[in-house]
Amino acid sequence: MKLFSVAMAAALGILCHAIPSKAQEIVLGAVLPLTGPAAQIGLEEQQGVQFATDRINADGGIRGRKVKFIFEDSQGKPDQGVLAFNRLVDLHNTPSILTAYSSISLALAPLATRKKILVVNPAAQTNKLDDASPFLVNTIPLVRDEVEVMTKYAVAKLGKKAAILYENAAAGVDVRDDFKKAFEASGGTIVADEAIEFGSTNFRASLLKIAAAKPDFVFVGMTVGYPALADQVAQIPGFPIGVGTTFLRPIVGHPAAVGWFHSGIKSGMKPEDEAAFHKQFNVKEMTFFSREYANSAQIIFKLIDDLISKNKPLTGENLKAALFEIKTFESPTAKIVFNSNTAKREVEIFRATATGRELVQASVN
Amino acid sequence: MLFLQLIADGLVNGCAIGVVAITFTYVYTTTGVFHVSHAGVFTLGGYLAWYLSKEGIPFVLCVVLAMLICAAVGAAIEKGIYEKLLKRQATPLVQLIASLGLLAVLQNLVAILFTPNVLQFESIAWRMNVLHFGPIDLTIPQVLTVLTAFAAVYGLIYFSTKTNLGRRIRAVASNRTLAEITRLKPFEVYVYVMAISSALVVLPSVFIGLDQAMQPYSSVLVLLTAVIAVISGGLGSIRGAFSASLVMGIVQNAVLIVVPGRWSIALTFTLFIVFILFRPTGLFATKIRRAS
Repeated sequence: MKLFSVAMAAALGILCHAIPSKAQEIVLGAVLPLTGPAAQIGLEEQQGVQFATDRINADGGIRGRKVKFIFEDSQGKPDQGVLAFNRLVDLHNTPSILTAYSSISLALAPLATRKKILVVNPAAQTNKLDDASPFLVNTIPLVRDEVEVMTKYAVAKLGKKAAILYENAAAGVDVRDDFKKAFEASGGTIVADEAIEFGSTNFRASLLKIAAAKPDFVFVGMTVGYPALADQVAQIPGFPIGVGTTFLRPIVGHPAAVGWFHSGIKSGMKPEDEAAFHKQFNVKEMTFFSREYANSAQIIFKLIDDLISKNKPLTGENLKAALFEIKTFESPTAKIVFNSNTAKREVEIFRATATGRELVQASVN
Repeated sequence: MLFLQLIADGLVNGCAIGVVAITFTYVYTTTGVFHVSHAGVFTLGGYLAWYLSKEGIPFVLCVVLAMLICAAVGAAIEKGIYEKLLKRQATPLVQLIASLGLLAVLQNLVAILFTPNVLQFESIAWRMNVLHFGPIDLTIPQVLTVLTAFAAVYGLIYFSTKTNLGRRIRAVASNRTLAEITRLKPFEVYVYVMAISSALVVLPSVFIGLDQAMQPYSSVLVLLTAVIAVISGGLGSIRGAFSASLVMGIVQNAVLIVVPGRWSIALTFTLFIVFILFRPTGLFATKIRRAS
C-alpha cells in the first residue's frame, strides 16, 4: 500500500511537471477554405502557414516556446467561418487567427472586435476590410489599390472601351465597382458588365456577350475557375485581351491568355526557403498564397516574440498594440508597413507570355 | 448570330439537366424517395471517368466503367439505406434527411479520394475541338451531351414501355401494395431503378466535365434545376421532365440578350413560379402516380 502511494505521488509529480511544459505551447488558429470550390487556394495557404510554423519550431520556437497552428475549414462559407472562429477562440483560446476570403473575413470582423482577437488577413481584398474591425489587419493592399494601378495602365495602353467579367461575391463586386469608377473617371466606357457565380465553371454565355460587345479589353475579377475560363475563351475567336488583379495570375501559362495583363503585389522568397518548401510539400512552386500566409504567420510570431520579451500576456489587444508599435515588417517576401489596418505594398504589372510572364511596370502603392 | 449561339448553348445545358431530371423522376416516381444524393452519384461518375482516363484507359471504356460502378453504388444505396428505412416505416422526411446526409458523404468522399480542386480531363485532347453548324459553334463534348441525352430519354421511354422489366417497374410505381400482392417484388425493382438511374446520370456528368470542368460541390445547383424541371414537367413524366429541362436551359441563356448574366437564374426561376401558379400539375399530365 505504501509502495502504491509512493508510485502515485511520483506519477502525480511527473504529471504536474508535464502540465507547465504543455502550457508553454503557443496555440494559434487559421480559418481557411480547405474544402469547397476555393480548396485549392486554401490548401496552398495552409502549406504556407505550416511551413512557417515548422521552421520556427525547428529553430527552437519563440523564445523556447513551441508554436502550434490549428486549422479550421471554412468551406469558403461565412457561416462555417464564424463557427470555426468560435471553436478556435472558445475551445483553444487563440489570441490571433489567420483568415481567408473576403466574405468570411467580413463575417469574422464583428467577432474579432467583440472578443478582442487579432485577425490577420493575408489575401482577401474587398475594400470593406479596410475598416471592418479595429482588430482586423490586412497584410496586402485591397482591391481599389490594385485596380487603380491596373486601370491607369489599361487606359494608357489598351483603349477606352472595356467589358467587365466578375465573380458575384464580395471581392468580385469590389473589382467591378472600383474598375467602373476609375475607368469612367478616365473617360472610358463600359460596354458589357457580366457576373458569374462563385464556383461556376460555365462562362460561355457571359463570354459570348462580352465578345459581341467588342471591347478593347475585358477586366476580369474572379478568384477561382481559371482553367475552365481559359478553355472557353480559347473557343471564342477574337476574344479581347483580359486584364485583372493578382487573382488573374493562375491563368498565366494558358495559350488563350498570352498577351493578358495582371497586376501583382510584390512578393518574394529566398531561393533556399523556396527549395525547402518544394521539398517539404512536393509541389512545383511556392505560390503567392503560400508565400503570403507564411509571411503573415511570421509577422504574428514576431509580435508574440515582442510580447514575451516584455513579459506581456499573449492577448489579441496586446498583439494589436505590438503590431502598430513595430509598424514595419521587413522580410524576403515583402516590406510591410502598417500606417493603418491595411499594409502598404508595391504593386507591379505583368504581361502573360507563351512561357510565363514578364514585368511591364513597377509601381509603388 | 449571338442569339442563335446562346440558344444552342442553352439547349446543351438543358439536355444535361434533362438527363438528371429524368433519372431523378424515375427514382422518385417508383420508390417515392426524394433522392437528393443523386447529385453525389452525378459527381462520383464524373470523377471516376476522369480518374480512369488519367490512367490511360480509352475514353469510351472509362464512361462505361464509371456507369457500371455508379450503377452498383446506386443499387447499394437502395439496398443499404432506402430499403432498410422503408422497412422500418421511416417517413419520407426521414428518407430525405438520410439522402441529404449521403450527399454530403459522397461529395466529401470524392474530394478526399480525388481532390477538392477544379478538375479537367486534360488527357482527352479532342475535348477542345469545335464543330461548326452554320453560325453555331459547338464543342465535341457539347454535341455528345445532346446526342447522349436524347438517347437516354428515348431509351428510357422504350425500356419503360416495351420491356418486361420496364413494365414491371411501372406497375410497382403505380401501386406498391398491389405489386407486393402480385409478387412483383417491389424492393428488387427499386434496386434496378436506382442502378439504371445512377448509371445514366454519369453521362451528363462526364460530358459537362469534358466541356467545362468538375468540382465536387457543383452538382447541387444542377440537381436543384433538374428538380424544378421535374415539377414543371409534371411529376412522374419522363417526357415532361426532359422538355421542361430543355425549356429552362434555353430560357436561362436566351434572357441574357436582354438582361445581364447575374439576373439569368433569378429571372428563370421567377418564370417558373409564375408558370407553376397557373399550372400546378406541370406541363404534362402524370400517367404514373404513386399510390401512397
